[in-house]
Amino acid sequence: MTKLLQTLLDSIAVGSLYALIALGYTMVYGILQFINFAHSDVFMLGAWFSFVLARAMGLGGAGSGSIVQSLVILLGAMLLCGVLGFLIERLAYRPLRKAPKLNVLITAIGVSLLLENTGQLPQLLGKQPARMPSVIPDLVLVEAAGVQIRLVDVLVIVIALGLMLFLQWLVFGSRLGGAMRAVSQNQAVAALMGIPVDRIISFTFVTGSMLAAAAGFLYAAKYPGLNQPAHSTWVLLGLKCFVAAVVGGIGSIHGAMAGGLLIGFVEMFGAAYLTPHLRDVYVFTLLIAVLLFRPSGLLGLARVEKV
Amino acid sequence: MSTLLETEGLGLSFGGLKAVSDFSLRIPEGGLHGLIGPNGAGKTTVFNLLTGVYKPGSGTIRLGGKLLNGLKPHQIARAGVMRTFQNIRLFGELSVLDNVKVARGQHARAGFIHSMLRLPRFHQEEREMEEECLNLLRVFDLEKRAHEPARNLPYGDQRRLEIARALAAKPRLLLLDEPAAGMNPSEKQDLSDLIRRIRLEFHLTVLLIEHDMKLVMGVCEHITVLDHGCVIAGGDPRAVQDDPRVIEAYLGAPIEEGQGAAP
Repeated sequence: MTKLLQTLLDSIAVGSLYALIALGYTMVYGILQFINFAHSDVFMLGAWFSFVLARAMGLGGAGSGSIVQSLVILLGAMLLCGVLGFLIERLAYRPLRKAPKLNVLITAIGVSLLLENTGQLPQLLGKQPARMPSVIPDLVLVEAAGVQIRLVDVLVIVIALGLMLFLQWLVFGSRLGGAMRAVSQNQAVAALMGIPVDRIISFTFVTGSMLAAAAGFLYAAKYPGLNQPAHSTWVLLGLKCFVAAVVGGIGSIHGAMAGGLLIGFVEMFGAAYLTPHLRDVYVFTLLIAVLLFRPSGLLGLARVEKV
Repeated sequence: MSTLLETEGLGLSFGGLKAVSDFSLRIPEGGLHGLIGPNGAGKTTVFNLLTGVYKPGSGTIRLGGKLLNGLKPHQIARAGVMRTFQNIRLFGELSVLDNVKVARGQHARAGFIHSMLRLPRFHQEEREMEEECLNLLRVFDLEKRAHEPARNLPYGDQRRLEIARALAAKPRLLLLDEPAAGMNPSEKQDLSDLIRRIRLEFHLTVLLIEHDMKLVMGVCEHITVLDHGCVIAGGDPRAVQDDPRVIEAYLGAPIEEGQGAAP
């Protein structure tokens, strides 16, 4: 029982992190129909920006930052990654707007490598792992029947959930979201209806990147040992979140949220009840199963190609 | 009456093919003009030029005196030119109401900051907007299906929703590209009535492409005939109907004695 509850809590925490990142993949796919492979690097930089900001604020000794400091770090990382997302779209993808999708895809891989390796320059982040200063106090809020509810997990879930609710309102309840959904349906017609398509696409990248930055901050708070920018753990994490988006139905906002949580559950329960060594295997097995039996994803729309 | 739309010597070539050449048109404020011509005459190309989809190779386009050349499609739309499409292009996955709201929203006053902060002015405007859009759907008899995805509507309703969506943006000039295509005679009759009605109700200027001669002749005050990208005739419906060049464009030249048939 204890193990079940503990695993459940871990699954939700990890799953909501995955969901935050998966949203970025799915939003970009929904609007431009390509996989932004640089998204995992935006997430990675979100974590590293949090580290840099925390250090700049003098954190890193004993004790942890105040709530205000943590909030400033979170918002600062989101802002920086938002700018980064804007620049990536503006400089790398927009010139290729009319090029075949494969060209854009390869460019995305290029951007990904560029970010990872530029990040490792000694003048920038360096190629050593780092330890994230404590931004969220390591508190156990409740301990009952052996189950520990840690503050950091609660915050991860609350912040992720809050951001997802905000995104839900933004996409489905706001005027801007209406324009985003229209652009994802048909860019040319959207423009003829008066929608500034370029601006909407920029906005989509900025939003997705900010969510990834928030995930980066929360990840760094939960797992303070940060690997160097080009380390394969980041790519693997990004890949898992991409799997989450595909499992949920790529292009679907709710699909990414559900897919993220599902991946979190499969990974954590597999690790707890089967063997922890194969945790990545569970995730990719789920992907294969979904692709075999429901290729458009759990919440994705089956697109029938008309001949 | 003042001129709303004025084009001068408008031209566009694709490679060596002149799709439209020396196209000049003047539509007075409140006018209802028809643009006809055989298939491939360049009618839709003219619409694409007017809405900024294509950049004109030569000539000028003015709306109420303001030069539209070089503006992007969304800027031209915001300047007041809205259109429908020959083959329906709704936002299929969006609800009927959202299709209309999206077009309406681009012309709202409260900007992003207001909507983020959810200021009272934003809420009020949002309510008014929704009400306005529902009223618009009522005019088109679509309000009962407002919350269904647009792709679920029957064909005729989709055609009318396209017009409703264009009107939501409060255009000055409405471009209708074959609105009667695929409609049966009674639907066509309803469409004629609808076009006349919305023109008065919304103080519109309308330019209409249509193959259905009965509809064009019945509705339009002035007709321009296009063939091979050139204007070959223009005038009121009766004059155009009897113009030998028009008959020739549609039916081919009569074989005159001494000339012989074309090879």
